[in-house]
Amino acid sequence: MSAFAERSFAFAQDDIPLNMPITESYSLGQEVEIGQIERELKKLWTDGEGAMTRASLVNLAVYSEEPGSLPQNTKLISQLTENSACRAIVIAADRKAKQNHVAAWISAHCHVNRAGSKQVCSEQISFLLEGACADLLPNIVFSHLDSDLPFYLWWQSELRDPMGTQLWAWVDRLIYDSQTWRNFGEQLRLIESAQNEARQRVVLCDLNWTRLDKIRAAVAQFFDHPASHHHFSEMKSVTVCFAPGFKSTAILLIGWLAAQLNWRTDQQSMNGSCRFLDSNKRKIDIELREQSGPPVGEVVLNSETAQFVVKPAECGDLLEVSRHGANEAALPQMLPAQNNDVVALMSQELLRGGPHRVYVRAVNSVRGLL
Amino acid sequence: MNDAADQQQTNPLREGLTSRAVPQPCAIVIFGATGDLTHRKLMPAVYNLAADGELPPAVVVIGFARRPKSDDEFRKEMEEATRKFSRQNVRDEIWGTFSQSIFYHQSEFGDAAGYKSLAERLDKIDKERGTRGNRLFYFAAGPDQFETILKNLKDAGLNRAKDGGWARVIIEKPFGTDLKSARELNRIVHEAFDESQTYRIDHFLGKETAQNILVLRFANAIFEPLWNTRYIDHVQVTAAETLGVEGRAGYYETAGAMRDMVQNHLLQLLCLIAMEPPTDLRADSIRDEKVKVVRALRRILREQVSLDVVRGQYAAGAINGKPVPGYREEEKVDKRSTIETFVALRIKIDNWRWADVPIYMRVGKRLPKSATEISVHFKKAPAVLFNKEAITLDQNVLVVRIQPDEGISLRMMAKIPGTSLRIEPVKMDFHYGTSFGKASPEAYERLLLDAMSGDATLFARHDEVEEAWAFVDPIEEAWHAKDAPELYFYPAGSWGPEEADELLARDGRAWRRL
Repeated sequence: MSAFAERSFAFAQDDIPLNMPITESYSLGQEVEIGQIERELKKLWTDGEGAMTRASLVNLAVYSEEPGSLPQNTKLISQLTENSACRAIVIAADRKAKQNHVAAWISAHCHVNRAGSKQVCSEQISFLLEGACADLLPNIVFSHLDSDLPFYLWWQSELRDPMGTQLWAWVDRLIYDSQTWRNFGEQLRLIESAQNEARQRVVLCDLNWTRLDKIRAAVAQFFDHPASHHHFSEMKSVTVCFAPGFKSTAILLIGWLAAQLNWRTDQQSMNGSCRFLDSNKRKIDIELREQSGPPVGEVVLNSETAQFVVKPAECGDLLEVSRHGANEAALPQMLPAQNNDVVALMSQELLRGGPHRVYVRAVNSVRGLL
Repeated sequence: MNDAADQQQTNPLREGLTSRAVPQPCAIVIFGATGDLTHRKLMPAVYNLAADGELPPAVVVIGFARRPKSDDEFRKEMEEATRKFSRQNVRDEIWGTFSQSIFYHQSEFGDAAGYKSLAERLDKIDKERGTRGNRLFYFAAGPDQFETILKNLKDAGLNRAKDGGWARVIIEKPFGTDLKSARELNRIVHEAFDESQTYRIDHFLGKETAQNILVLRFANAIFEPLWNTRYIDHVQVTAAETLGVEGRAGYYETAGAMRDMVQNHLLQLLCLIAMEPPTDLRADSIRDEKVKVVRALRRILREQVSLDVVRGQYAAGAINGKPVPGYREEEKVDKRSTIETFVALRIKIDNWRWADVPIYMRVGKRLPKSATEISVHFKKAPAVLFNKEAITLDQNVLVVRIQPDEGISLRMMAKIPGTSLRIEPVKMDFHYGTSFGKASPEAYERLLLDAMSGDATLFARHDEVEEAWAFVDPIEEAWHAKDAPELYFYPAGSWGPEEADELLARDGRAWRRL
């Protein structure tokens, strides 16, 4: 086997040159001693010099406590690095394991670049932390960061108390998916306390919020022209359809409208409905309707004089937006819909910078509902 | 980036979704709708914007041209062109709704009745499709038609903003053929449209790396302190292409490399490299600083032209191992043509920052490779320590690659491992394509979006254009005088005439190896 076959690639035959197309197997690659990781990585690039270019824009650490997460996350990293070069540190923790043990692997994900002339490769270091070694997380991360690059931590498990303050101080962006949380309030409390303890400001990146990007853009575009702003103060009701398991996503969408349009909760009631008051104390009725389909399906905003509808198009990956009003012809338009695939959500998050201030406001607007 | 961007946040739901100005509903009227530019660039650009969700629903495109054609025939033609030239695949679902926003208006450019009926049609479209009286007129027709179109637009009242909307005009280069004609064109344009309504498009400025020049310079504290005559030895700007004139001989025979490339694209790039930091990112703040650079360009007097400018024309040769004909043997080219397909210039900028820093610029067709880049060559380290005796130290060179393989590289000196002291240049290289897998939008997409949003930052202002012609004119005049400097011939596939190398060699310098 070629030297690179020991990393995450599987070649059809032993003597294929390094610059030939590669079929990835998503294996963890070559097992290495913890203390030898940097040396082994260096060797990896020395061997492949010329045919490959190592690239990295961020350190992306992925932490999971799910059994079997290492190969699954290796596959995700392989797909993510097609658009976002990074040093990936993939960590699986098994706290219940009887023995305390740490194992490590190195691998590389290579993709032919847009010009088609060279292989662009991202490194991955994988760790399995068993037993008490799971508490070594901060040390593992600190030891293997690519210097001077931002540090994104993708936390795939439930957060627990106490959180390591030392770790948070290094994190630039904390990525999580609140849709998977069993107790939203408790998880958010832990995140906020970690954020408060961090010496630098951690940007909170909720994939559940990212899931709403295209829907939010589709709703926002109705109100781009100043002549449509009067509808804000004439809003009567909002209906949001959501798929089973995605109620928190729908509530976040309502939270966004409430935060940006200065609505406050009036009352909470059963059967998925609630009411907000705008700044003039006008009532806005909210209906959340569970039905199968994409995480967030049809969204309808009714003002005194017009109806604004965003719904999934039949083809599935587009949104159909239309506005209906008195003396107005409905002009439907197709807009891109959000791909709910985790790779798509993560890619979007990795390509974006800056804070998510609106997210924090949206969460605060509907904290009681989540 | 500009005034329009300042206003966008009036929609509170846009906060955090985009950092750019939001385009407004409008009708885009393309004059010359059956031409190459519309097929290859404009319609694919509008489609891509729609497919990416960048356009509001109420954007319509109206093709204005002479040939009789129905809306459906025009839509079909545009669909074929978009399927052929779009950067992303055309999806039937999107095209289905998008195409309903495309219309065709048949008229001669000089027929006043055609503009009257256009005005009526636009009013109807406003009511039916909510374009709110906003009109964007795109001149994709030949420049000889501009005056006629502008006059008729004005006579039909289409130059005036309506019902709280706006009317804007996008003009494609060439913006005149010399200072006189540029001023005349600006006068004609200004008779119908204010400067604030006028968007002169230079697609080089829509390229990602061109926009990144300002970020590189002003968002990184390490460069600006060195960005002056004290530390910079010289700057080179190169725009090389392997192509010949292809199907553009008719235009090229009247333009040449100087008018086609130097007066606009290359001087615009030079402005971005040489300008002072603007006070803010408003369009006019940036353009104010750019125009100061062009104004500070030392005019090359007629008698100096032979010393500071080299013009060349490609003769027969080979590109990528294949024989290619000389320029004079190309179709529709005069067999005795003296049009330049290559220009090399030595330019001086007479201001505090750039005093005594020569700018070498070269542009050419049928060169060995296609590459556009700017290289900033820093002064050598003092002749002490490492380079005291036998060792010659190279310069540090910062290269901004505009196309292809967009990126930035920095050359520096490093010790070769070993017991003896050997110093060689090494290169730190950043490639957009390597670090960011996602492809950038086409320049026309960005620029169309900017025009729809009222952001003129990446468009040339009238004074920039006129000052650029004021710089170029004496050179053109010298070339067309009786005692014109020689036209040098170079074989296709070479780096231009030897005289271009001598231009730098006289100063003890050499062109960067590309």
